[in-house]
Amino acid sequence: MLYFKGCIAKEKLTSISDAVETILQEADVKYKTHNHERCCGSVLLRTGFYDDAKEQMQNNIEYLENETILVSCAGCYKTLKKDYSEMFGVNLDVIHTSQLFEGLIKENKIKLHNSNLKVTYHDPCHLGRHMDEYDSARNIICECAKLVEMKHIRENSNCCGSGGGVKSAFPELSKNIANRRIKEAKSTESNMLLTSCPFCKLNLKDSIPEDDDFHILDLTEFIITQLKYSDE
Amino acid sequence: MRFSFDKMNQRRIKNQSNSKIKKQRNIVKKIRQNSIENMDSLMALAKKNLNNNGIECLYAKNSNDACELIYNIIKDEKLVVKAKSNTLREINLNSFLNSKNIQIIETDLGDRILQLNPLNNKPSHPTGPISHFNIEKVQKIILDSFNEEIDSNPYALMQYIRNNVVESIEKSNVGITGVNVIAAEDGSLIMVHNEGNISLLSLKDTHIIVAGIDKLVNTIEEAMAVVKLETMYATGTNVTSYINVISGPSKTADIEKKLLKGMYGAKRVILIFLDNGRSEALNECLLCIGCGNCLISCPVYNAVGNDFGYKGYLGGRGVALSNFLENGKTSKDSGLYMCTLCGLCVLKCPVSTPTPEIIENIRINVNKLWNPIESHKKIKDNIKSKGNPFKK
Repeated sequence: MLYFKGCIAKEKLTSISDAVETILQEADVKYKTHNHERCCGSVLLRTGFYDDAKEQMQNNIEYLENETILVSCAGCYKTLKKDYSEMFGVNLDVIHTSQLFEGLIKENKIKLHNSNLKVTYHDPCHLGRHMDEYDSARNIICECAKLVEMKHIRENSNCCGSGGGVKSAFPELSKNIANRRIKEAKSTESNMLLTSCPFCKLNLKDSIPEDDDFHILDLTEFIITQLKYSDE
Repeated sequence: MRFSFDKMNQRRIKNQSNSKIKKQRNIVKKIRQNSIENMDSLMALAKKNLNNNGIECLYAKNSNDACELIYNIIKDEKLVVKAKSNTLREINLNSFLNSKNIQIIETDLGDRILQLNPLNNKPSHPTGPISHFNIEKVQKIILDSFNEEIDSNPYALMQYIRNNVVESIEKSNVGITGVNVIAAEDGSLIMVHNEGNISLLSLKDTHIIVAGIDKLVNTIEEAMAVVKLETMYATGTNVTSYINVISGPSKTADIEKKLLKGMYGAKRVILIFLDNGRSEALNECLLCIGCGNCLISCPVYNAVGNDFGYKGYLGGRGVALSNFLENGKTSKDSGLYMCTLCGLCVLKCPVSTPTPEIIENIRINVNKLWNPIESHKKIKDNIKSKGNPFKK
């Protein structure tokens, strides 16, 4: 298995890729990472650089083919699974961390403490609405905490505001959209918002003050807090 | 605006979950697809049948042609009245006629209030153009325009504007409107409204209608399916108060079987078909039935309002359409790069317009023909040289 960290978890929010690797090691999953992992091409595709994206993706195919590719990022998931197939006809074997870890929990390879913590969950657009994956993350949360849902969830989920190149081009707009989503999350009984996309986390986190006692975590970071280590 | 949108949304949620509506969506989507795929043959058929019914047909390649055609018909008039229409907004008819010293008065309540507020007269929703104004704002606009203080009572405000508009309608010989759907086989024009203003305008001596060439369907029955669904998604109600089907001038042959026109309604009904880039547009971009449901949930529209859109074509789909009605630069300026591509609009659209896909495609061309967004260019260069978007 190849763990494709994705740009955000590799360069900006390394706590997410660290969490994933810790969980993989605890579950005794054999995996490797690529020393020179390069962007999957999603950012280029969404912002209109089609030819550059094509070149980037073409170069990536070499080391992605014939691997089971584990991704942290919802954007990588959609791009590797859908765009590579539509543009090059290659059907890459891609699995999102939430899907893999749900399976590992079922197989008892990952054990979690059960808490009464109330958490809410944000569906990343690229994972949910675009790729129809809503349940894995929720099933994991229900194994170890109490899931309290927001008003807009699953296919009706509201965007975090970061996608489509908006965060870099219009940072205030991105923040404004994130604030609406956080307001929705805060109106649940929970003070913790989980998501399964590092880019969503980055943007949601950027739009609240650092000392805010509302927590925003990637699902894998949350798993770490609930993980029963094998030496426990 | 969000307050008005929340209200509309509550009504809609109840109605849209109905399984009958789901069936209706599929039917209308097929009608729209067929009408776009067969635009040329439908137009030829429509022209023939409209002419047979006594409706004059003209063709305008672009906005300016359309304005000139209208001007040719009404150049002797001092005052004309119009109904709310995105197509009329698209061709900038109001400013064109003003430049020719012809006064043009809006008759839709919301649009008339917008017209009286010239500094910010962009609508915020296709059927609820002043969703972003509260009562105090409307009072202030009337005060500034007419020096009249009206009670903060919506009925009194409506009554005041109504009287003001009716005066103009009575003085005018010409009514100008858009049209919701054209039934080609029947040679009929279908218009929906709640205020009754279109009925009044259609009774003027001359009724001029401007229609995008994407408005054609086969029959009146198909047209009804389209407008019913549009109404459901636009306002959350099943039907509008008025559905006008106009298939010719007002006529009678009661006296010795001699055909006389203009008994109560128009002597002349003139339809102007407007292309303005539509024949070159991506098919998916023309599926839209104009309900505005995409706006209610759009995260960007909820944040920035009608700055995300082009003229009356609001939100991402309007931004996409502007690429064809105008060009990539206009589309860029209308918010082409503001869309997060979240896809909620596709889910909410009764005919599933794939706006994010269209926007992604337009961005490719705009990057090539015009400058990409500076920050995107930097990110692209970083990815190419460092393998990731950051400078690491």
